[in-house]
Amino acid sequence: MAAINLTKMDKKEVIQKVIENGGTGITKCIQCNACASVCPVAKAGFPLYGRLLFRKLQTGHFEEIIEDSSSWACQACNRCTEICPRDAKPFEMVFAFRRMQANELAISTSAFTPLMNLHATGHAVYSEASKDLRVSVGLSPEPVTSISSEEAQQEMRTLLDNSPMGELGIF
Amino acid sequence: MDKCGMYLGCNIPFKAPDIEQSFYKVFPALGIEVVDMEGATCCPAWGTAPSFDVDTWLAVSGRNITIAEQKNVDIMTGCNSCFGVLSEARHMINHDPERKKTVDRNLGLINRKFQGTSEIYHVSHVLYKNIGVDKIKENITHPLTDLKIAVQPGCHILWPSEVMAVKEKNSFFPTILKELCQALGADVPHYSKLNACCGMGAMRSTDQVRSLGLVKDKLISMQEEIAPDMIVTTCSSCYLQFDGAQKILREKGEIDFQIPVFYYTQLLALCMGFDPKQVAAISETPRDAIIQKIQGATRLVN
Repeated sequence: MAAINLTKMDKKEVIQKVIENGGTGITKCIQCNACASVCPVAKAGFPLYGRLLFRKLQTGHFEEIIEDSSSWACQACNRCTEICPRDAKPFEMVFAFRRMQANELAISTSAFTPLMNLHATGHAVYSEASKDLRVSVGLSPEPVTSISSEEAQQEMRTLLDNSPMGELGIF
Repeated sequence: MDKCGMYLGCNIPFKAPDIEQSFYKVFPALGIEVVDMEGATCCPAWGTAPSFDVDTWLAVSGRNITIAEQKNVDIMTGCNSCFGVLSEARHMINHDPERKKTVDRNLGLINRKFQGTSEIYHVSHVLYKNIGVDKIKENITHPLTDLKIAVQPGCHILWPSEVMAVKEKNSFFPTILKELCQALGADVPHYSKLNACCGMGAMRSTDQVRSLGLVKDKLISMQEEIAPDMIVTTCSSCYLQFDGAQKILREKGEIDFQIPVFYYTQLLALCMGFDPKQVAAISETPRDAIIQKIQGATRLVN
């Protein structure tokens, strides 16, 4: 009988990538979904979280979910890691998946501005308008952070340019 | 502890500098010298390096921590996200020898070395553990008698508790911020969505509608269950969400009330008599009326 043969990454290859990207608990997950019971991403109505996400990864279905933006809504709140009965650290698996997406440039468009800011100023969030705000409450126009230190900004650029992020061509 | 490195992050110095000013007012007055961390960068925020590569995250966080190490001080952060990012990074570097080797190699590029000598605290930890509620009570001149507060501790100060130097007895029923607010004389009743997420951060930038849904749920829980005079938080992201989202939700007709929002040290500074034009001057949701009430002549003690 004829069948459609979908190509996909090998199951072991996907699990290995999740582990390499920090999701070392992926093989511990037994699909109990306790993580989802406390997850803001689940509560807010996003489609891909908890055991569904981890099952897709455990069974090698990475390409099928690579474009899903649910992982980019993860608040990194770690409620899941606090309560996981298997100590699988679900947060680290979600972020491992996010890193696998990012390294394929399947990135939320909202991520680019903070990245460019980080590379240019050392701060992900920055606005020129802050100078007037600061002066209005009796502070110096700039804080004593990297924003007022060319040397500190250069240190940040050295770290980023020499990292795997530098090779993605996003800066 | 008689001094602590002040890690500012991004949102506080650039979006809510009146919170930064409140740190410089309250900590010295309560016996803690605030030490500048010159050249500190973003922690880095969850949506940046931590979303791409663990070792790059640890290098940037590690660099920030070395600034405090060079001054022989611990770190206090006013932003929950920075607290979470730095606490998790420090824990990973200290507990994973392979990661530590890579951090050493990366920080070697900029002639720095991570020592592991500086601990990461949150502003509320220093207030609660090092200063203490008794000393706070002794130093307030404008107590919040007959005023009711809904507290919002936020997420990253609570979980994962494994990596944190100061822990709540039960992270799903946190009490530190409640006790800090009670020290000001306020009534701080429980509400059912106390430990729920406010929807700020990554969720807000990924899907504003869903993000606003979470904060709306919390606001309604607060209003219907305890009708507070104000919301008080120790997270700068929660502060921006509760303050800014109320305006949007009112304009959309989704809520018909407004509750003033304060970062805890802003409120503490007001209770200590500091000038609201410096410590509580920037907000979307009006605070003038409640500030007048707090600093009104009838409340003044001593």
